[in-house]
Amino acid sequence: MNDVLSIKDLSVEFDTVRGSLKAVKDVTVHVGYGESVGIVGESGSGKSVLSRAAMGILLGRNVHRTGEVVFDGNDLSNLTPQALRAFWGTGMAMIFQDPMTALNPVRRIGAQISEALRIRLGMSKSDAMTKSAELLRLVRVPDAEATLKKFPFQLSGGMRQRVMIAIALACDPKLLFADEPTTALDVTIQAQILELLDDLRKSLNMSMVLVTHDLGVIAGHTDRVVVMYAGEVVESASTVDLFANMKMPYTEALFKSIPNLDTPTGTRLPTIEGRVPDPTQTQEGCLFASRCAYVQEKCHNEHPPLISDGNDHLYRCWFPIQVRSPK
Amino acid sequence: MLKKRLPISVLLAIAWLALLLFFALFGPYLPIPDTLYSFEDSLAVGVFSPGHLLGTDSYGYDMFAQLVEGSRYSLLIAGVSVITGSLVGSVCGILAAFKRGIFDRITNALFSVVLSIPNLLLSITLIAIFATSPDSSNPVPPSRRLIVVIASLTIVIIPIIGRIARSTALSWSSRDFVTAARSMGMTDRQIIVRHIVPNVLPALLAIAFLAIGLVIVAEGSLSLLGAGIGEKTTWGSMIARGRAEIEYYPHILFVPIVAVALTVIACNRLGDEVRRTLDPREARL
Repeated sequence: MNDVLSIKDLSVEFDTVRGSLKAVKDVTVHVGYGESVGIVGESGSGKSVLSRAAMGILLGRNVHRTGEVVFDGNDLSNLTPQALRAFWGTGMAMIFQDPMTALNPVRRIGAQISEALRIRLGMSKSDAMTKSAELLRLVRVPDAEATLKKFPFQLSGGMRQRVMIAIALACDPKLLFADEPTTALDVTIQAQILELLDDLRKSLNMSMVLVTHDLGVIAGHTDRVVVMYAGEVVESASTVDLFANMKMPYTEALFKSIPNLDTPTGTRLPTIEGRVPDPTQTQEGCLFASRCAYVQEKCHNEHPPLISDGNDHLYRCWFPIQVRSPK
Repeated sequence: MLKKRLPISVLLAIAWLALLLFFALFGPYLPIPDTLYSFEDSLAVGVFSPGHLLGTDSYGYDMFAQLVEGSRYSLLIAGVSVITGSLVGSVCGILAAFKRGIFDRITNALFSVVLSIPNLLLSITLIAIFATSPDSSNPVPPSRRLIVVIASLTIVIIPIIGRIARSTALSWSSRDFVTAARSMGMTDRQIIVRHIVPNVLPALLAIAFLAIGLVIVAEGSLSLLGAGIGEKTTWGSMIARGRAEIEYYPHILFVPIVAVALTVIACNRLGDEVRRTLDPREARL
């Protein structure tokens, strides 16, 4: 196989006081070598849980994972967190949403970048510092040597996110999970960070899973897209195909929610009415039915399977778009 | 970078504590009268009397000599019990917060049990069990009494520090940077040492300094009740003796009380400063 990461029928369940909560349901995702895959969905769709479960970092007493995860030819499905650790940092790495909380506030930047180098790669202190400065230059932080001596609070949000990326790249991972890497940043910085991630991915020959709620972020920066809703994959296609040929009303609704420069000022931005179904409750029929603009009788009664259009474009809908018009 | 100057209050606190430390370490070698030598011609003279800087008590014992010996034992008791109590308490608290599960529940329950017993009652009970002798002609050796007093105060300190260590560590261990460190393949131990401890330490040190004052006062209460270390003078035992004569010779009571008060204030001020210095967000502002 040519996949760096292959997830098959992955489900994640949390034990909560209100009962078992199924955050991810039978998800199958493949990420090829050098490929960038986007995972999109609104809050509560299970996209962050999916990426963390794939890596294995959230496994614990109250979290159960079933299904198959194969990374770079290694079956990780039944490994303990202790055994998985061997792959973390060096094989797979993750960058987090909020650069304000993902750096330790009382330790210097240099110490935080170099610790992975020293612990995982066994570098000496001075070698690790030299490498840390190189990493900072790689993520285009100006004046890398001075930044090594700074504390996180002395850096701006964009700079901190660059430091986060430098840490994640420290041990040369094959696959980078970017969990909403730009959500906490303002728009101009967002563009810079996404461009940086793109360049790094290409120059370091890395694969990437980009988790976001923003289809606009997905557009220029991924090869394929997986749309998730309520823990399920509801549509999956190559990025070009998805934007040209949306099948699932949910994807369309997400797309329509992106602000557009061409609409006249004062137009209300469309939103998706209602909310994601309560994951502790089981529901008959299509999970999106209650919010769907094209809903029909069948949608409320029968749960749609993931259907393929024969062109590697999967969708979970009884009445895909372009087959009928809105009611 | 600006070199920060220490505020005058911190300098005074350091000076006071340094003086006490000097008394505690070199007290026996200083040219001062024996604490049990009675100056019969100058009973209960006031402070700044000739030959007696802080006066004498109603037995003619020199107050300055008592204060020096008191600082030796009060600081010994406070220092040892706060250091051991803080170490045990913070290790238990941090591990409980990080490991969660059954270990956390047991530790937390033990902390609660100890905290629910009034400190003084707990200490007195322990001293009564382990450091008293039913036979008055064969008393418990003073060294054993000292160890039991220190141990009983340590037990009081453990849950105070432990609780704070646990709750602080709990809030830090759910931060993203801990998940980030884990996702880079660091072990729990490395995460605790490198990420949790540096964040928890400033708060713990500040509380530990507060606890020094607490223990000095607690030891005073024990002495007041006759459950102190006995033979040797402590500030608490000085207060215990002086309180009976407050109407006639108030200086006998005030000398040790002022010493305790100054020490507690100095510890608090220093603890505050240590926390501020260790926290880079505040230190650089």
